[in-house]
Amino acid sequence: MNVTRRAVLRGAGLSMAGIAGLAPTRAAFAAGDATVRVGMVLPVTGPGADAGRFALGGAKLALDAVNKAGGVLGKPLELVTEDDQTTNPGAVLAFSKLASQPDIVAFLGSIRSTQNHAMAPDILKAAKPVCFGGTDPTLTHLGNPWLFRFRPNDTYSARVIADYGIGTLGKKKWAVVHSTDAFGTSGAKALTEALGKAGATVALDQGYANQSQDFTPVVLAIRQAGVEVIGSYFTFENDLGIFARQLRQLGVAVPWVGSPSITNVTALKLAGPALYGTFGVADYAEDASDASRAFSKLYRDAYKLEPDNQSSWTFDAVTVLARAINAAGKTEPGAIREALLAVKGVPGAEGTYSFDGNGDGLHGYNVVRNDKGKMSFAKRVDFQD
Amino acid sequence: MDLVPQLLFTGIGIGAVYALVALGFVLIFRATNVVNFAQGEFSMVAAFLMVVFAVDLGWPYWLSFLAALGGMAVLGALFNLGVYYPLRHRSYLPVIISTIGASILLANTTLALYGPQPQVLPGWFETQGILAGGVFFDSQYLLIIGVTAVLVAFQYWFFEHTLVGKKLQATSQDKEMASLLGIPVAGMIMLTFVYSAVLGGIAGILVAPVLFVSIGMGSTIALKAFAATIIGGFGDVTGAIVGGLALGVIETFGAAYISVPYKDALGFLVLVVFLVVRPQGLFGERVAEKA
Repeated sequence: MNVTRRAVLRGAGLSMAGIAGLAPTRAAFAAGDATVRVGMVLPVTGPGADAGRFALGGAKLALDAVNKAGGVLGKPLELVTEDDQTTNPGAVLAFSKLASQPDIVAFLGSIRSTQNHAMAPDILKAAKPVCFGGTDPTLTHLGNPWLFRFRPNDTYSARVIADYGIGTLGKKKWAVVHSTDAFGTSGAKALTEALGKAGATVALDQGYANQSQDFTPVVLAIRQAGVEVIGSYFTFENDLGIFARQLRQLGVAVPWVGSPSITNVTALKLAGPALYGTFGVADYAEDASDASRAFSKLYRDAYKLEPDNQSSWTFDAVTVLARAINAAGKTEPGAIREALLAVKGVPGAEGTYSFDGNGDGLHGYNVVRNDKGKMSFAKRVDFQD
Repeated sequence: MDLVPQLLFTGIGIGAVYALVALGFVLIFRATNVVNFAQGEFSMVAAFLMVVFAVDLGWPYWLSFLAALGGMAVLGALFNLGVYYPLRHRSYLPVIISTIGASILLANTTLALYGPQPQVLPGWFETQGILAGGVFFDSQYLLIIGVTAVLVAFQYWFFEHTLVGKKLQATSQDKEMASLLGIPVAGMIMLTFVYSAVLGGIAGILVAPVLFVSIGMGSTIALKAFAATIIGGFGDVTGAIVGGLALGVIETFGAAYISVPYKDALGFLVLVVFLVVRPQGLFGERVAEKA
């Protein structure tokens, strides 16, 4: 009983700590030092507000670590945040507010592809590096040189889902369930292509609108299609939770390999036993590397919460961005961009960063299995192409 | 397997939730001639109260339910005093804007107090449901349908067979005449807000184990309930029930046989058709005929 009440207070405390923590750690710097400012677009309100809390927590941990290690270019690093309200117009407005501040040298964008698409024209105009977490592969093929992805894109997740479902589970007849936003549509397209190349068939391609209250028609369609396995791209955890529960209630027991949202802390909490035994591709998995284990310990110690990919990518983005600015030796956007492109073999919580010419820093995924609510690491798959 | 029975059950279950919230819309509209756009937030607040009492504090479920409804009654009274009463002599527009403001305030206050993470509220029953004849009857949907039926029966009895109910009806039909007859109009309107808040709260608590408890849950339900109210006929209790159930069934069957991604659009397409062809709704009267 009291534990939960404490959790409520802790949540509020985390928010406050996050806000307070936006100020740079000044102890190591002289009073009055100018700061190097980085803007961050994140959801504070709307259905993604919970993800925003994780994102801020990860970014703040990296900020503290960077400043304790001397900051960037001898100055404290500072985060300036704006609420994107979990909407595309909100994201555009938030980015515009940040971009109008000339002393902000780079930005953290959204984990949601659709919002990054919405901001992309303004990012091009701002002409400063934006680190983002959306996994729609097209985002780094828009001809926008300022976009740098800190999560592996969905061509990789699709290939890993297909590889695991076909190669390891031995299933050939698939249902692909996905949201109809940019993330879900592009993920489903990539998965369908990957399955086609591997000789599997998609018996059902089923989109749904975000914030659906009922998945009965979707589950019945899956049951009628007689599929052997489900591959999914869910954007919001509450949708995933409702689907998972109805899937089990209506007696569908086929294996399910999902995109990273199936491994998120919130999804595990909401769906509970309905997700037991499912598989997920996860950009962040605690046991994938020493760097991911170190991040996990840092996050747990700081917030007494389980970390997930919503906090790990922002942690990596701030860490790698600070490293790039230091390597560039100046805050000129073009120099930072070149320094980011030069990042090769840098370990992070999500994996080892090696940016390609498109701005993709990661090129592989982990496969994890839900063992009664605990995510157990199965394997890491990296691609060279 | 025949999909129709499963779809029908689910559609009626969801429709019953819309109907409960729509009832709140209708009652306040009848009493005050304004639409309360915070009706959905009543559902959300009640669900969060339930999480606090039943999950955080560990109270028995029935006690938590009563406490949450008690909280909603207080909220309904405060809502009347703070949002409607000061503007009662103004036109409908300031009152509507006031309810929109209150809706935003309630959502953001809950966000500030409880944080953004969606919460899980256990259902009333241990079992998730029963499988009979190839149809899975979700226990929570069964409860929702049952409670809706009981509330509709109660409402009929209350309005048609009790003095207070008749006073409420008189107030909604003609406030001035009701006042001349000695009916305490302000008290009746207060009672309407309290009852509507409790109704919205019941809907929120019942649907929370199905949809989870989140800040946005109220607005999602309210939008559909508003559409149901228009389809049924604004101001008509029977219309709210039938409109809610119809919308739930149309959405579910539309998703199964036409398009899942466009199921919301199908519901609102029906709404548009009604607005064009029969703006008074299924059970509403034409305004011109009332005069």
